[in-house]
Amino acid sequence: MATIGQSTPASQKVDRRTGKYLTFALGNEEFAIQVLGVREIMGIQEITAVPQMPAYVKGVLNLRGKVIPIVDLRLKFDLPELEYTQRTCIVVVQINGPSGKLQIGIIVDGVSEVLTLQAADIEDTPDFGNGVQLAYILGMAKIKNKVKILLDINMVLNAQEVQSLDGIAG
Amino acid sequence: MPLESEKTKTASGAGSIAAVNPLAADPELLSDFILESREHLTSIELQLLTLDQEPTNAEAIHAIFRGFHTIKGMAGFLDQDAVRDVAHEVETILDLARNGQLAITPAIIDKILESKDYLNRCLAGLEPALESGNLPVPPDNIALLAAIRSLGSNPAGETQPAGPAGDVSPPALEPEAAAAPQAPPEPATAGLSELARVVSQVVAQVAAQVVAEAPAEAPVESGLPADSAEGPRANAARASGARSIKVDTAKLDYLVDMVGEMVIAQSLVHHDPDLAINGKARLGRNLSQLARITDEVQRTAMSMRMIPVGQLFQKTARLVRDLSRKAGKQVDLELFGEETELDRNIVEDLADPLMHMVRNSVDHGIEMPAVRAQSGKPSTARVTLRAGHQAGHIVIQISDDGRGLDQAKILRKAVEKRLVSPEAQLSEGEIFNLIFHPGFSTADQITDVSGRGVGMDVVRKHVQKLRGRIDVISRPGQGTTFLLKLPLTLAIIDGLVVGVGGQRYIVPIFAVREMLKPPEDSISTLQGRQEMAMVRGSLLPLVRLHQRFGVKPRFENPWESLLIVSESRGKQFCLMVDELIGKQEVVIKSLGETMANIAGVAGGAILGDGRVGLILDLEGLFGASNGE
Repeated sequence: MATIGQSTPASQKVDRRTGKYLTFALGNEEFAIQVLGVREIMGIQEITAVPQMPAYVKGVLNLRGKVIPIVDLRLKFDLPELEYTQRTCIVVVQINGPSGKLQIGIIVDGVSEVLTLQAADIEDTPDFGNGVQLAYILGMAKIKNKVKILLDINMVLNAQEVQSLDGIAG
Repeated sequence: MPLESEKTKTASGAGSIAAVNPLAADPELLSDFILESREHLTSIELQLLTLDQEPTNAEAIHAIFRGFHTIKGMAGFLDQDAVRDVAHEVETILDLARNGQLAITPAIIDKILESKDYLNRCLAGLEPALESGNLPVPPDNIALLAAIRSLGSNPAGETQPAGPAGDVSPPALEPEAAAAPQAPPEPATAGLSELARVVSQVVAQVAAQVVAEAPAEAPVESGLPADSAEGPRANAARASGARSIKVDTAKLDYLVDMVGEMVIAQSLVHHDPDLAINGKARLGRNLSQLARITDEVQRTAMSMRMIPVGQLFQKTARLVRDLSRKAGKQVDLELFGEETELDRNIVEDLADPLMHMVRNSVDHGIEMPAVRAQSGKPSTARVTLRAGHQAGHIVIQISDDGRGLDQAKILRKAVEKRLVSPEAQLSEGEIFNLIFHPGFSTADQITDVSGRGVGMDVVRKHVQKLRGRIDVISRPGQGTTFLLKLPLTLAIIDGLVVGVGGQRYIVPIFAVREMLKPPEDSISTLQGRQEMAMVRGSLLPLVRLHQRFGVKPRFENPWESLLIVSESRGKQFCLMVDELIGKQEVVIKSLGETMANIAGVAGGAILGDGRVGLILDLEGLFGASNGE
């Protein structure tokens, strides 16, 4: 047991970005998140709106008896809002909240495929030189001449997210 | 099960007894030790209180002995010397007692209770060590050890002819009990004697467990009706005879969630329009059967969260004993309806207020024996705790036969503290309710236990948090009764499902006074902004739910919509919604920490169609709209 526990973080340090990714579309861009954090994918459902939440928080949903918050990733990334279609999906991800793990659903335009990315496929995020903070982007992957943006979903939903939500709630 | 784990401990321990005991710092063993010891200490306290009533109850002495003995064994094994020494001394005393060489006196019980508290403190100190790995220095126990020892030496010499009082020969089952006093613990002694000690402890422990199992089996085999045995014995049998397992509460919650989902799925199938075709009687029958079963499963799942209120009551037994001795009063505690079941969380949150009320009764309610004799009452006072069901609620009653509340004194104090004006005409109930006011206390002197001014207001706050209410009934000279009315469970509320635009919300029914469609002329405005409705002759502020939550309503005019008259902090107001959809019992779910503090939302609930509805927090809604 102990040896396994030690070896995992060590290998992650080499390149924690390699591994399996779930890719999905938002507008014209392709994004990818690590499969490990994905709990399930489902079609769009009716969401119960919650007052006093930022626009990108669409509300809550019943996931087998658990109430989970739903975030529209388009709105989160300041993309224009789009009417939900047959292809629209809710990807339920597990992230680390301030006090333990929690599940959050993210709404994306459509889920594409699961890819295995090697270290060679992944490039660091280019420096845009304008001080844009992109801490939530792990890097870029070039697959068949298309760029996939690798997201750290924990950072996307957590760091800025939880702070802003707390600010509103308080 | 415990037998098994003991064996594995020995097996792995045998090789590593050398100089430092590595097992002593093993967090898993340590947490097992803390958990098990706590259980033993709890049952020890119960048995001690039994013993206090009947000092010759051999069963109770044995049970207490076994408890301390097991703790001693485990503590020795884990190098918890302070715990082991205290447990050992107590055990020696108890050994004398069970061999008839020492009569149990209240003083002895006091010391044993004290030791039990000491052990509890040690355990509490150990808990942080589970994380940090640094074993703490246990609290000082020298005085305690000496005190316990002196208990054994004095009366033992005086009491009985029992010649060889010095070397008590213990029963063969516990060889270690005799061995330990002769060989005081020396860390430097060679491995061999250490090994012998560990082995003998384990043997003794196994033996003790075998003994512990035995009484549980006995009544079953003998086929004697359990109720023929006297109270405490029947209690002991029930405690050890109840077959139970420990389950992680998270698992239980998950089960309850899943069952809830199953009920929803079942009801969706049941009401599916495709099935409502004539001539499908068999299908209908089978579906009804399914509905009955899911219903039953749900009820069973919910009942798993329930625990009998008796555990809580028994905690007060110790309190009453300590308080009455300290104050020199004689008090009998009577418990009724201990088997009444309550949600686990409620029982936990009820402990503090209940303790406080019992304290109040003993401290303020009950007179000194001399005073009681003068007024012709029996010198031993009576405090009664009673639990029972009443109209879908649990009612807990705390009564004493003391002096009762002094209306004049309460009123005087309230006027003094400017809570009421001197001219106010108050009813009896209103006067009694003053004691729930923050900072109110009738005790003239500040005593150790109560009368610090924080009291009944905290109790009321606690009870309200549990969605319950508290009432006082009191007769001068005859006593005081506190009545607590609590919901069966915190997990479920009765709610009205209301609709606003496309959204549905749940209004907790306990907050609803009435509902009405107001006539147009009953609505008026204040400065063109604040709206009011005239309901039964009083003007109530109007809160538009759609405005508060930013939802587009179906009706903009109050006279087309529905008004829910509700009360928040003693003030009534009207909540405007589109329509009433129905009434439903809902399971309360948290919205998660990111949505924990939304003004006006208390949580979420799964509605009959599987969608989430928000449960309204009317106090928050009204407060927020007031703040504007």
